[in-house]
Amino acid sequence: MPPLYKAMTAVLAFTGCISLFISGALNPFMFIAGIGLIPGYYRLWKGMPHASKWTIGGLSIAALFFSIFDALVITGDVFIAVAHLTIVFHAIKSFDLKEPWDHLQVYFMSLLQLIIASELTRSIAFGVVFVLFLVALVTAMVLSHFLKEGTLQRVRFKRPVVVISLITLLATTLFFISAPRIKGGLLGRSLTKGIKTVGFSERVDFGSFGNVKLDPTIVMRVELSGRAEWPFYWRGLTLNYFDGKSWQDTLEDKYEIQKKGEQFLLRPFPRDKAIIQRIFLEPIESEVIFGLNNVTAVEIESRTLLVDDAGALFIPRKSSMRMSYTVYSIFEEQVAEGDLLRYLQLSPDAGRISRLAEDITKGIRTDTEKAVGIEDYLKTNYKYSLITSSPPEGVSPIENFLFNSKKGYCEHYATSMVFMLRAVGIPARIVTGFVGGEENKYGGYIIVRQSNAHSWVEAVIDGRWKRFDPTPPVASVEMPSLLAMYLDTLRLKWYRYVIGFSSIDQMRLIEFIYMPFVRMPQMPEVKVHGIEPALYIIIFVAITVLVVFIIKRLGHKRYDFVTANYLKLRGALENRGAMITASSTPSDVAREAMRLGIDGKAAEFIRLYEEARFGGKKMDKEDMEMYRHLLREMTKTSE
Amino acid sequence: MDLIIKGKGRAVKMAIVTLLGRGHLLIEDVPGVGKTTLAFTLARATNCSFQRVQFTSDLLPTDIIGVSIYNPENREFEFKPGPVFANIVLADEINRTNPKTQSALLQAMNERRVSVERKTYTLPEPFMVIATQNPIEYQGTFPLPESQLDRFMMHIKLGYPTPEYEKQAVLEQSSFELLEHLEPVITGEEILRMQKEVDNVRVDESLLDYLMAIITETRRNDRVRLGASTRGAQFLLKAAKANAYYEGRDYVVPDDIKEPAPLVLGHRIILKARTYISDAERVVEEILEKIPVPV
Repeated sequence: MPPLYKAMTAVLAFTGCISLFISGALNPFMFIAGIGLIPGYYRLWKGMPHASKWTIGGLSIAALFFSIFDALVITGDVFIAVAHLTIVFHAIKSFDLKEPWDHLQVYFMSLLQLIIASELTRSIAFGVVFVLFLVALVTAMVLSHFLKEGTLQRVRFKRPVVVISLITLLATTLFFISAPRIKGGLLGRSLTKGIKTVGFSERVDFGSFGNVKLDPTIVMRVELSGRAEWPFYWRGLTLNYFDGKSWQDTLEDKYEIQKKGEQFLLRPFPRDKAIIQRIFLEPIESEVIFGLNNVTAVEIESRTLLVDDAGALFIPRKSSMRMSYTVYSIFEEQVAEGDLLRYLQLSPDAGRISRLAEDITKGIRTDTEKAVGIEDYLKTNYKYSLITSSPPEGVSPIENFLFNSKKGYCEHYATSMVFMLRAVGIPARIVTGFVGGEENKYGGYIIVRQSNAHSWVEAVIDGRWKRFDPTPPVASVEMPSLLAMYLDTLRLKWYRYVIGFSSIDQMRLIEFIYMPFVRMPQMPEVKVHGIEPALYIIIFVAITVLVVFIIKRLGHKRYDFVTANYLKLRGALENRGAMITASSTPSDVAREAMRLGIDGKAAEFIRLYEEARFGGKKMDKEDMEMYRHLLREMTKTSE
Repeated sequence: MDLIIKGKGRAVKMAIVTLLGRGHLLIEDVPGVGKTTLAFTLARATNCSFQRVQFTSDLLPTDIIGVSIYNPENREFEFKPGPVFANIVLADEINRTNPKTQSALLQAMNERRVSVERKTYTLPEPFMVIATQNPIEYQGTFPLPESQLDRFMMHIKLGYPTPEYEKQAVLEQSSFELLEHLEPVITGEEILRMQKEVDNVRVDESLLDYLMAIITETRRNDRVRLGASTRGAQFLLKAAKANAYYEGRDYVVPDDIKEPAPLVLGHRIILKARTYISDAERVVEEILEKIPVPV
């Protein structure tokens, strides 16, 4: 068995296993089974004897039983158990690769692993593994084809491998672009879990922000166009009621917004002044979506969008869903409407706080000045720290922050400010979300991480909700390296154009393709759903036919110089009516050439051919020239 | 040689190929077309010892192999070698004798040595048996069983010469007189050297596959009851190598397999219908037309 063939089988086996490992969903102990592949393939490489039939059979049955146990007890998940089983089978099979059939089984198992892995992971590394797998699979298939034919030693397979790989990649891409979008994955399950965020549930425990301020996990990436003010406040949820331990939103009413075309329009707005944010949100364990202040419209591939009267946006979804959407915001504060009383609830220990607030605002007339005064007071007199001591018995965390420890983080500042504002009669609320983000110059977008999580204050000033942020600015975190930025750009592209390739994208692509042909002031509505499944089948069949056709064509070209030219002669003679069949020997061909009146050149040509092809002699330059010359002469006469 | 055996170039070539491939030759044809002459010519031309055994129904194994005779002078049994101790042995009308004698010869052919009374005597090298049998005379014959036919590398037929050659042959002097004057062109040692060189003839992997495809097809063909044996495949390979050598090449080309294949395989396969070897040869030729030649 040729070494390259063995190597390809090994590559396929390993890529299959690696694709599962990078999903991170497997039991770490399976790594041991994965290592079992190494001695197996080493033995194959060295041509050591195969394991006995009984050992292989026994181990396989044992693995199968263990897998049932695994599915029922250890992982309790059939899906993962099957993934485990494939790795174990790979390890067993690596000791028993006798026939091409055994190799084929390895390919199949790897394919199964890739399908499973595609359900378990969305990582870009999987994409790399997938392409590697595809190329290796094509190479292995081409090799096994030639091996079966017995022509492996003589053919040049580099070109077929490269061409078929490219065609396969192209066909896969085309199919990927054109295939109907299936929601929820092929196997109907997805094991990716959302990021645990804080601050975006209906109840936010006080102090929880401190836990995520050092977490660099990326939550979202934003492409921003339009004039926006730095720092960006990515608004999430608003909360109005504090019970001393956690914040809540007492107003649970959410309104459903009607979708018009592709857009959920919250209220009319001047398009040219809108700040457009294209947001790629990682899976998070919340239904909230984010945007800059005062969102007026949302474009998202979802049927429902819910809004509460504080302007928080919700998309009912699975926490595992990665989302991309576009938000239009205008640079204008929200009008304070409705019942503002609930924004005046006071802290259970209002006494001291109220007195402090009154002290600070003594002699100040306007609400704006009062609010700014409080903000400044908090900013200047308190120290930002993520390390806070728990308050003594009977003292609320706010009191402890304001009067005892005098250090804390955003939640302490914001909560204090809300209650101080309320004490002086200004309606106020807490807003949770993210602040800032780092700019990725390569991709031209903003990365927002868990550590950007923040809470700030909104207060009603002159009938509008104004934003205040009493938290003092913190020295920004170290900038990631350029390489990290570059990799993250790649990751965004991957999520954007591969994982997140949606039916909206399909529609845009069709529009883009149609654009030059349809010169109309308004685009006709292209019905994506109108494309019948039959069309997909036709496209698929067309691609398949194309692939088969090209492979067939390549089949003629895959021979080396000597054989290729011999076949050329045969073809030329056949065209002239020579009786040449598959069972004709080279000398038969020479005789036919002679019969057709091509003189002695044929005999010399055939002699050169036979010598090089069967005699194991390498043609030197002179012979090659001669060979080519003779062929030219003969085909010339035959024209 | 063509001078003596007129118009039978192919038969002569195949006889030489068989010699080069260390095989034995079975010639089947009606009497008087030159079987004996072919064998004798081969022996003369190679300067080899030649023995002719006319196989009759009362021939005994000892008549071929030899016998131990008591020598009263030194009071020992002395082995008197039989006619098989020659480089080229012509076994004329081999199917006329009884199976016991046939098998004695055939064993010698296979093992290239004979055992007499617990002593083994090696036969001279080169060693080649040319056996003839008459197809028409069925009476009083013991047809060779397949297992013994298998030991011949090739089975050839001479057939009647074409009219013009026949006319010449009738007119001219007896070929035996010509033979007397035939000068050896080669020695026995040289034949041995050539036989060794034949072993070194290169066979491309793809041609080996081609050869095996032919063998496999003889077993698979629906007109065939019993296909060619593994020994058949070995002989075909040897014949192909010898053929290549005969043609002055040190590598085998497809023709080297295709040309001798009917002669090597024809007598090894049994058709479903009860027929002659010549029919089997035709089946082999049909098979050859089916198997694609490697390019």
